[in-house]
Amino acid sequence: MTNDEIKDLILEIIEDIDDEADFDNLNPDEPLRDQLDLDSMDFLDIVMELRKRHQLQIPEEDYPQLATLNSCVNYLEPLLKNA
Amino acid sequence: MKPPCIIIGGGLSGLAAAIRLARYIPGIVLLEQHTRLGGLNSYYYRNNTLLETGLHAITNYAEPGDKRAPLNRLLRQLKIPRKNLTFHQQITSEIIFAGKQRLLFSNDFVLLQEEIADKFPDSIDAFFDLLNFLDQFDPFAPAPFRSAKAFLLERLADPLLVDMLLCPLMYYGSSVENDMDLSQFAIMFQAIYREGFFRPHGTIRDFLTLLSDHFLSLGGEIRRGAKVTTIIQEGKRAIGVELESGEILESDFILSTIGHQETRTILGQQPVDNEPNRLGFVESIFQLPVESIPLLPRDRTVMFYSENFPFSYNQPVNLVDCRSGVICLPHNFDQITPEKTIEVRSTHLASYSNWQAIRADRLAYDKAKKQVRQQSLSVIEKYLGKFRDNIVYEDTFTPITIERYTAKRHGAIYGSPIKIKDGNIGYDNLYLAGTDQGFLGIVGSMLSGVSIVNQHILPRI
Repeated sequence: MTNDEIKDLILEIIEDIDDEADFDNLNPDEPLRDQLDLDSMDFLDIVMELRKRHQLQIPEEDYPQLATLNSCVNYLEPLLKNA
Repeated sequence: MKPPCIIIGGGLSGLAAAIRLARYIPGIVLLEQHTRLGGLNSYYYRNNTLLETGLHAITNYAEPGDKRAPLNRLLRQLKIPRKNLTFHQQITSEIIFAGKQRLLFSNDFVLLQEEIADKFPDSIDAFFDLLNFLDQFDPFAPAPFRSAKAFLLERLADPLLVDMLLCPLMYYGSSVENDMDLSQFAIMFQAIYREGFFRPHGTIRDFLTLLSDHFLSLGGEIRRGAKVTTIIQEGKRAIGVELESGEILESDFILSTIGHQETRTILGQQPVDNEPNRLGFVESIFQLPVESIPLLPRDRTVMFYSENFPFSYNQPVNLVDCRSGVICLPHNFDQITPEKTIEVRSTHLASYSNWQAIRADRLAYDKAKKQVRQQSLSVIEKYLGKFRDNIVYEDTFTPITIERYTAKRHGAIYGSPIKIKDGNIGYDNLYLAGTDQGFLGIVGSMLSGVSIVNQHILPRI
């Protein structure tokens, strides 16, 4: 997957969690949770969807690496290289 | 195939936990000892009608746009679109302390504020300070028991206002006598006064069907009539369960929603020592033909009353204590049009041990049930007006009834006074959710199932 495809994947997952999510003013370096009004329960859905869709097992200690859109890309890029 | 997780108990917390898991993990198994789902919130048929067992009103009403509200968070977590559900909001509810004062509240929190300003003018500033405190307070942070009553007496100064505010919150969710934990108070204050009451369209059966169909469509399995007699363990690991039929089901994870003591029992452990009294309740249903609607108040959904002040919320000396109670008119929700019959429901505190003492003598037990129902009727008619001549069917549940059908120890609908907030009962792969985890009410118990699954099972399964 390219970086843009990974971004789209994350946004698609978030849209699936909250179909009213507003991405227009999303800053890729700011925490997703604060900007999109997601709570920790919603956040777990991102992890679980990645697992369901791409068989990625993300250990709990790595969850903070999914905080922003750009950090998601950095973290997921090597894992989804061949996806 | 060995199920990755078994959930014991098909009440609302078990169903919510099951759906949450099944969204991501195939092969989840939900075990229910009865032939019907729902636990405390189930139904039965009498007099050619469906009667609900627990549901008066659901707390935590929220508008669709309020993303952080518990109701909307819950629906998101279960992936049940809000637009698939129709909710009916309450009209108005009332707290009545006979001969003392009355307070109205509704799903518009302003009403309660105006009522307090009007009837307790000396306490209104302190009440606003309390609201500020609650805004800053995190009720989910782990903390030891702190008396809500002592806290409120200190803040609000007026003991009548304190008791009046506590009365509905205790009746709808305190497992502790004459008090509640401050965290529990904060949760219930939000759930009842700030958010408010509603009902889903249809009956509890429709709501349970929606949940169970959703679980099944996600690939889950429901086994009814599957009573767990033993949780098989190896050290701190639960290996699986043995059913009454003798069948053994192995699993990687187990979630029990049947209560803490009840779970200890099937683990072969002794009950926890020194558990304070469990609170029992008696509930009566009076069914009336729809033509009786004009006899009853049109604008009251739930009425919480106390004939004595200070309000006592403890195990009665007798079978039942009708000096206080809850009266619910389930047809008085917005946009509900009853077809043939309506109901009046009453709830009072009851003593499990006194009912237990007479249960063996069927005649005495039935007679006591009838007497208690009459006693309830006489009191609630004071608040509703006379309607007894129109009753076409009536029934009463005692703590014994509730224990028999729900297997809740002592028929205590709010479970043990001691809560296990993190769901951890000392095992590597066995957790507790539901009533004894500490979130109460329908939305609360469902969020309990979801949050324990999120916290302990989904990240590891």
